[in-house]
Amino acid sequence: MNEPETPVLDAAVLEELAASVGGDGEFVVDLIETYLDDTEGQFAAIEAAVAADDPAALVRPAHTLKSSSATLGAKRLAERARALEIAGRSERIDDGARIDAEQLAQDWREARTALQEWMTRSDAS
Amino acid sequence: MRDARIALVVDDSRVNRLVLTRQLSALGLEVLEAENGIEALDLVRAHASAIDVVLLDVIMPELDGYDTLAAMKADDATRHIPVIIVSGVEELDSVVRCIELGATDYLTKPINPRVLEARLNASLAAKRLRDLELEHIEQQRRLTETIDRQKTELSRFLSPQISALISSPEGEQLLAGHRRMITVAFCDLRGFTSFAEQADPEEMLGVLGEYHRMIGESIVRHGGTLEHFAGDGVMVFFNDPIVQEDHVERGVRMAVEMRSRFEDLGAGWRKRGYELGFGIGIAVGYATLGRIGFEGRYDYGAIGNVVILASRLSSQAAANQILLSQRAAGMVEEIVDVESVGELQIKGLSRPVSASNVRVLR
Repeated sequence: MNEPETPVLDAAVLEELAASVGGDGEFVVDLIETYLDDTEGQFAAIEAAVAADDPAALVRPAHTLKSSSATLGAKRLAERARALEIAGRSERIDDGARIDAEQLAQDWREARTALQEWMTRSDAS
Repeated sequence: MRDARIALVVDDSRVNRLVLTRQLSALGLEVLEAENGIEALDLVRAHASAIDVVLLDVIMPELDGYDTLAAMKADDATRHIPVIIVSGVEELDSVVRCIELGATDYLTKPINPRVLEARLNASLAAKRLRDLELEHIEQQRRLTETIDRQKTELSRFLSPQISALISSPEGEQLLAGHRRMITVAFCDLRGFTSFAEQADPEEMLGVLGEYHRMIGESIVRHGGTLEHFAGDGVMVFFNDPIVQEDHVERGVRMAVEMRSRFEDLGAGWRKRGYELGFGIGIAVGYATLGRIGFEGRYDYGAIGNVVILASRLSSQAAANQILLSQRAAGMVEEIVDVESVGELQIKGLSRPVSASNVRVLR
């Protein structure tokens, strides 16, 4: 996999996002906060699905997490969530998926830190 | 037409909804939001005529994008609303399926605002055309409704054949004037003038009403064209504007039926003290038919010797007589028994004409 090459946060995505709404950095900051709030729930749902060995229950939170994370440039987390979504669709949570699920916690912490740093920088500028 | 276009954003991710809503607002749209297919269908059904475009995520809880799209396309009220699928780049297979289900277009996340604007404008332009088309269809429907109402009104005032003729494609040509062989039947009441002098106006109109109803039913049943009625006198012709191979026979059968029905009517009147008889004259020949009159009041009429002859035969007919011109009698000899009434001197015609009375249908 190209895992090591995937950045935790692609700041360019956030810059583009800000540009796409007329350079409104505040909107992007609000968006990140919304994302951080919502993702806690999706993260918990993914953990529960893996613990219960319920692939069907894995698909939607993994998909939503993938989608929102991609929107905000949290690429490594998005990729991990996508792997879990695919695992859910295959109707079997195998060992690879369990490793992904464990990795997800770390990816999530890293993404959260990176986004918070971006917001701090954005506020400072 | 409305100023602001309305978009419905359907996505289970709040972040994605916020981004799209913001981008759409920047393009001047009003935005409704739904976080799953069920909510989306509720909104679309409640505001089917207001929503101009739906931006639909594919994978959602409750009801996914496929089922939402299929439900919209299965419903006449929501089928016309353009749907743009919003999906991840790695979900192009699902996009194909959505296009097959009737989606108009697709966008991939992250959404580039310029691509969004272009796709949106294309969908909105199509929607606008569709709205105009609907408006046009509605206008067309109202116009047709008006025309139908006019036709109904027209058919109350005119003979049904003539009102049909006016609305038909060849109407103008026929109205302009044409020559055709027709059968003309005149009928009127013997003794009506003196009756009209004696009776109350209400009584007279009552009698006339019963008589016209009886006459009218027979005219319609035999497919006659009512040219006019004036008091008790009625003129009917056959073979125009609708061609009737058996026009003479129709005229004679109508006359025999009227005579037979008049027996009951006349007997009823006799009990009330009114002595009224019924006579008919029938002739066959060429006439010029078409619009007759002047701007403001036209009739569809027939002009020719055949009309004069039928009218004169009618005035010569005694009560209960159906007088046929020689030619008419010759054309129906297989279906009726006739008796000659000899030669009649007819006003306006230089030579006397021979005529026959119809006794019975064979």
